[in-house]
Amino acid sequence: MTRRVFIASTLLAGTALTLLPQGEKTHIRVEPFKVIETVQKVLFPKGLKAPSASEFGATNYLATVTTHSSFWKDDLKFLIFGTELLMKEEPTFLSMNSEKQDKALRDFVNNSSKGENWVSLLLFYTLEALFSDPIYGGNKNELGWKWTQHHTGQPQPKKMWAEEIA
Amino acid sequence: MKYDVCIVGTGAGASGVAHTLTEAGLKVVMLERGGFLKEKDFSKDEVAYCKRDIVTPNLKESYHTIEALENGKWVKTPTYVTESSFFNGNIVGGSSNFMSGYFHRLKPVDFKLLSTYGTIKGANVVDWAIDYDEIEPYFEKVERLVGVSGEVTPYKYHEPRSTKEFPYPPLDEHPISKRIDQSCNKLGFVPYKTPRAILSKPKDDRANCYYSNYCGSYPCSSGAKGSARASLLQPALKTGDLTIITHAFVKKLVEKNAKVTEAIYIDTQTKKEHNIKANIFVVAGQAVESCRLLLNSKSKNFPNGLANNTGQVGKNLLFSAGGVGSGQFDAKTMPLKELMVEGLFVNRSLCDWYEIEKMKGGIVDFLFEHANPISKASKQRWEGSKLLWGEELQNKIFHKFTATKQLNFEVFNDWLPTDNCFVSVDEKYKDVYGVPVANIRIGAHPHDLKVAKLLAKKAEEVLKEMGAKNILSSMSSYPPANLQAGGCRFGNDSKTSVLNKHCQAHEVSNLFVSDGSFMPTGGSVTYTWTIYANSFRVGDYIVANWERYNK
Ligand SMILES: Cc1cc2nc3c(=O)[nH]c(=O)nc-3n(C[C@H](O)[C@H](O)[C@H](O)COP(=O)(O)OP(=O)(O)OC[C@H]3O[C@@H](n4cnc5c(N)ncnc54)[C@H](O)[C@@H]3O)c2cc1C
Ligand code: SF4
Repeated sequence: MTRRVFIASTLLAGTALTLLPQGEKTHIRVEPFKVIETVQKVLFPKGLKAPSASEFGATNYLATVTTHSSFWKDDLKFLIFGTELLMKEEPTFLSMNSEKQDKALRDFVNNSSKGENWVSLLLFYTLEALFSDPIYGGNKNELGWKWTQHHTGQPQPKKMWAEEIA
Repeated sequence: MKYDVCIVGTGAGASGVAHTLTEAGLKVVMLERGGFLKEKDFSKDEVAYCKRDIVTPNLKESYHTIEALENGKWVKTPTYVTESSFFNGNIVGGSSNFMSGYFHRLKPVDFKLLSTYGTIKGANVVDWAIDYDEIEPYFEKVERLVGVSGEVTPYKYHEPRSTKEFPYPPLDEHPISKRIDQSCNKLGFVPYKTPRAILSKPKDDRANCYYSNYCGSYPCSSGAKGSARASLLQPALKTGDLTIITHAFVKKLVEKNAKVTEAIYIDTQTKKEHNIKANIFVVAGQAVESCRLLLNSKSKNFPNGLANNTGQVGKNLLFSAGGVGSGQFDAKTMPLKELMVEGLFVNRSLCDWYEIEKMKGGIVDFLFEHANPISKASKQRWEGSKLLWGEELQNKIFHKFTATKQLNFEVFNDWLPTDNCFVSVDEKYKDVYGVPVANIRIGAHPHDLKVAKLLAKKAEEVLKEMGAKNILSSMSSYPPANLQAGGCRFGNDSKTSVLNKHCQAHEVSNLFVSDGSFMPTGGSVTYTWTIYANSFRVGDYIVANWERYNK
């Protein structure tokens, strides 16, 4: 049995909204999903056996699920806000080599709780992409399940979002 | 059209009534705020069923406020801020579609808490208006109709049974269950075979369990799980006397001359209002939402809400006290091939401490950590307060998934009724339909935690004896949202209770409440077996007294 323990989410995504620097201009406007994709590659690189974020479709997943009404709007705003914050603090992030990107991201996390919350949230959705049913556009070719020898429950969904099957 | 009986909700508390009434040929309508999904629609989609509000209302549309003590003051926080829903499953069949079906009967002592253990300061403990013998036949009926599998394990506090054995044999067990037995035997504990509301053999249109490994929080594709929908509503629909109206959110019951005349509901798809007339109204929206409906049904005769002139509606809300604990197993404790077997159940409980140190105690259920890979993996990203990623995280996830298994335990003991745990409504917080949402004050009595910790120690002893590593337990005073009861206590005194012993409102004779709200004290087990049993009991009473209402 699942007990839904009532604790404020460690993501603090709900409250993060109020931290948005309203009206403040960021120096560089970059397509948020470009930044997200780059960060996801750092968070989940190709391992000896583990599939990389690009291989299992981490960004693709996020692009699919964020458009659905069930996606927490505050999370979406915070995900985008974080890309702007990162660009402000690490303007050359996108052109760094992967080692430097990793170091820059660690600095970003250590410098502020906002940064840490953002990376944690993005990492959460990266793992959601890795282990969710491929119907949502992540876990491509069931790479996440195969890597961890995980057998999913049957039946798998024929439609997204538990919609009725005609 | 005027129905014989209108039931609000379609979950465990509603369905026993519906099944009984339609069997007796009454015309019944059920109003359900969610849709009607069936076996063919269900899947093991972790995103849809566990990570989003799909089978529960979107929290931006409907929510609760949770009133907790912060620095000595009670503060209300809407659940759309905490992102922690107190809805549990809002489709036909209610949250029973998603339960794990760990089923325990109440024990005779649960009906007599006050006379057995006396008063506890700060707690509103009372004896029940009925005793165990009056509900026993209905516990048995649940075993047959909803389907409970198990095997009687004798122990000191075992409740009396009118039948010798369970109608369905125990489900297949994981190799670890034998190890629990061995350890319990060494410690002198009784390893109790946990009864489950899951079919081990087919019944009518329902197939037996196929050990999908994705059980709790997921709806069942075989019909084996004893959801209200699969076990009672599907057969009741076959009588032709049952109408289920879906996407029908009941906002108010209209009262005239101390009788309910109609239910007003909003079609959540068209946003239009409709009404339903009936001779009798039965409310079963799960404890919190049932109280909310009564409190929002104000009229001249009942300015504080329907059947609430004594101010008792919403009071003495109960959850299940206790908490969770765990231990890790790996190849050093058990051959990996055995440990990693999937799908089979642990099905062991400890019930030896239903009384502990001269206090009312409780039970412990053992179960594996859920297979859910998203939640399992996402927990790995934290090492204490350090966020992990890259190779470090990958190694940790790989190890977690392939080399270890976590055996959990859950402690259940009485959530004592107090003045600090109740449901109220507040004009300030309304849902998208303009209806005040339920505020839940979640104060818990410190006694609950004390008992829970004593029980957790026993479970930890078992894990230790088994050789588990990293044994942890966290007993907590936070309420588990899915295990609700109380709020419309039954009792013989109309001043101190909302319902009489038949779960009929003292003040409104054609109004019944048939979910867990009637329970004045909770017992130290999960509630659903009792909710089902009582629902059958209420159904029988309505049928037996039908002529009085058929006017
Ligand atoms: C994940 C999970 C695991 C669980 N595991 C166990 C377990 O192992 N053992 C156990 O004993 N119990 C378990 N439970 C609890 C069990 O599901 C509930 O105790 C039981 O279903 C409660 O029955 P109910 O009729 O009160 O409410 P529900 O079954 O929730 O039914 C209430 C129904 O009423 C509808 N409703 C509410 N208000 C309105 C309204 N105003 N208008 C129209 N419709 C309305 C709701 O949409 C819902 O469908 C679990 C629950 C969950 C969620
Ligand atoms: S098949 Fe068995 S394990 Fe799977 S959901 Fe149904 S009852 Fe649970």
